[in-house]
Amino acid sequence: MTNLLTASPGDLIAEYDSGPIDRQMLVRYAEASGDTNPLHLDPEFARKAGFADVIVHGMLSMALLGRLLTENFAADRLRGFDARFAGIVAVDQSLRCSARFESRDEIDAVLALEAVDGSGAKVLIGTARVRLA
Amino acid sequence: MAVDRARIGYALPAFDVVASAERIAQFAQAIGMSAAPDVAPPTFMKAVEGENNSSRRILDALAVDLKRVLHAEQQFDYLAPIRRGDVLRVQRTVTDIYERKNGQMEFIVIESSITRVDDGELAGRSRQIVLVRHPAPKVAA
Repeated sequence: MTNLLTASPGDLIAEYDSGPIDRQMLVRYAEASGDTNPLHLDPEFARKAGFADVIVHGMLSMALLGRLLTENFAADRLRGFDARFAGIVAVDQSLRCSARFESRDEIDAVLALEAVDGSGAKVLIGTARVRLA
Repeated sequence: MAVDRARIGYALPAFDVVASAERIAQFAQAIGMSAAPDVAPPTFMKAVEGENNSSRRILDALAVDLKRVLHAEQQFDYLAPIRRGDVLRVQRTVTDIYERKNGQMEFIVIESSITRVDDGELAGRSRQIVLVRHPAPKVAA
């Protein structure tokens, strides 16, 4: 993996593909997180809210993006993580997640994060603050 | 109907959540991690602060229709790791309500602090921005 002490802006730090996020995953995430909003579980409710079918919890998408961090850095190095939910993630979509080096100061590196769905739409745009060492 | 701006400052009573080994393992499994970690995954704080349907209760208190709601943004600051067995105290407050696009989009900002009860150490902070979608008013032909 690219060293945060020597990386240049734009360097790819990590990437992975989540695989399809199916209904079973939405049910398991609802149970594990306590987020039982029917928008993610009940197609009828989702239609009334204006969607074709249930949609993926924003926080499940963010959790999948966060695996880039936990799989590449010791847990105590993570200092901040934020995301903007830029698009709806339809059920059964996969997310292509990536982290690129953005900047650093004496203590932290800032990584630019994004998740792109199967149609190429950027659905999550975020940053992470990670201790350099 | 616009969200009542007088609700800025609304706070839920603080509540405690046990970050048990089982809960962390269940959460890790639900997000596709292969092994249960020693330290809770980065977004586990959202599950902690969401205990007892707390987000739903805040939206109910603000008289917001769940069908109009989407999660727009989420930020976390990490100050101390959450480990198996930690007892965490959650304090959630509505810190801002504002609109965009002539009121077609309203945003509710909910900030949380998550403190370890044992030693009083602040484990982290969370800032959630909720979007409330209002349809454009119908204009008579």
